[in-house]
Amino acid sequence: MSSQNIQLNLSAIQKKFGHQTILRNVDLSLSGGQCKLLCGENGAGKTTLLRIAAGLEKPDNGYVNTGLGKVSWKFCRKTLQEKIVYLHQQPYMLDGTVMYNLKFSARDKQKDRRKAAIEKAMAWAGLETLASRNAKTLSGGEKQRVAIARAWLRNPLVMLLDEPTANMDTDARRRTLELMFQLKEQGLALLIATHDPMQFKKLSDACLILNNGEIKTDIDVEYTEGPVVSIHQHQVK
Amino acid sequence: MSNSSSAITDAFSLLVSGDAELWNIIGISFQVSTTAIALSIIPALVVAFLLAYIKFPGRRFLVSFFSTLLSVPAVVVGLTLYLVLSRHGLLGEWRLLFTQTAMVLGQMALSFPILVAMGHAALQSSDKRAWETARTLGAGVFKTIYIVLREVRFGLFAALLAAYGRILAEVGASMMLGGNILHHTRNIPTAIALETSKGDFAQGIALGMVLLMLAFTLNYLLHYFQGKEGLVE
Repeated sequence: MSSQNIQLNLSAIQKKFGHQTILRNVDLSLSGGQCKLLCGENGAGKTTLLRIAAGLEKPDNGYVNTGLGKVSWKFCRKTLQEKIVYLHQQPYMLDGTVMYNLKFSARDKQKDRRKAAIEKAMAWAGLETLASRNAKTLSGGEKQRVAIARAWLRNPLVMLLDEPTANMDTDARRRTLELMFQLKEQGLALLIATHDPMQFKKLSDACLILNNGEIKTDIDVEYTEGPVVSIHQHQVK
Repeated sequence: MSNSSSAITDAFSLLVSGDAELWNIIGISFQVSTTAIALSIIPALVVAFLLAYIKFPGRRFLVSFFSTLLSVPAVVVGLTLYLVLSRHGLLGEWRLLFTQTAMVLGQMALSFPILVAMGHAALQSSDKRAWETARTLGAGVFKTIYIVLREVRFGLFAALLAAYGRILAEVGASMMLGGNILHHTRNIPTAIALETSKGDFAQGIALGMVLLMLAFTLNYLLHYFQGKEGLVE
């Protein structure tokens, strides 16, 4: 992957909450069309790292950029929020219909093109039958699809997903994974925080283990059956 | 009993017949209270938003301060403003005492802490993901604020109702600052107090019915819109 294709670069990121160090010295880079998994135990700092990458949390130290070099946090945050979309573990639906949620992130100023983009996003995510439903009343899987379609409409370079398939049934998980495969094929960079890397085995290119505030490994995925802790132990040994 | 019945009958007659004096009092009441709310709502929402979303030194003190102001009696607010606006007061030169402007100021002082405290409570309980989602979807600060306010609109509407109800029905500040001057500063509560003290219950009951009807209508509207959006049965 060429360096010009790097869409997100985090270097020497540090973050403390009170006296507790969450992130010690984290480096991470992500290129277009690449999918990396971010694994680790509860409280390891996965969500914090994603939030920093999305420009929602300020790091105590270190740099986050999208290939612009060393820039101020204020400018960097603006750039991050323009190019990167962060999806919460439980996606938040704006108060209104599914159509309203999609309209919110459609950017094109020309009405016809905006409408066409929304229709395309609905068809892509299989949301046509849900268009007039109140988004807050959807199931977890449906909300995740709306959130992905809503994010996709923004035409981002990077998508950060926090446990995107948590608490989903098999069918909902399959449909969400299908969308993520398509995002990757379209050249988006994906960073997925998860407890269960096996689910994303075919999708991901690398698995990063976040432990004790540091990324212990950034390698090609060596999946093993079982929980993520066994992978971590395997790598550390 | 017969006196009460005839007073209620007379009250209905007054309302239906379009009694000029009665409707003038009602007009003054709504004019003053609506102006006070209209002038308070934006600054109160800004303060409530800052208290809920921005961390700064003294924030907790301010939240407690506005909550404390909720329990200050209207007559104390009236007395304080009376001292400020009276001839030898800080703003005595403005000659505002016994004018509708003075009543508006008094009612603003009463409604502001209600709007701040209840608005802050509504915003505080809002899901913080609303802000983050709007931002990460590329919304600017003002659009994001709009989204958050929209998310808590029923809580804010309830705050508005509570504040409007409080100032429309308060006697103390209006009596002290307005002076209860007929056709000028006499509003519904000061008229009720005066007419009742004179033994003329019909006008008092008629005005009381107007207040009750207003309270019912506003509450009905709140529940109607909540029901329409599927938030209540």
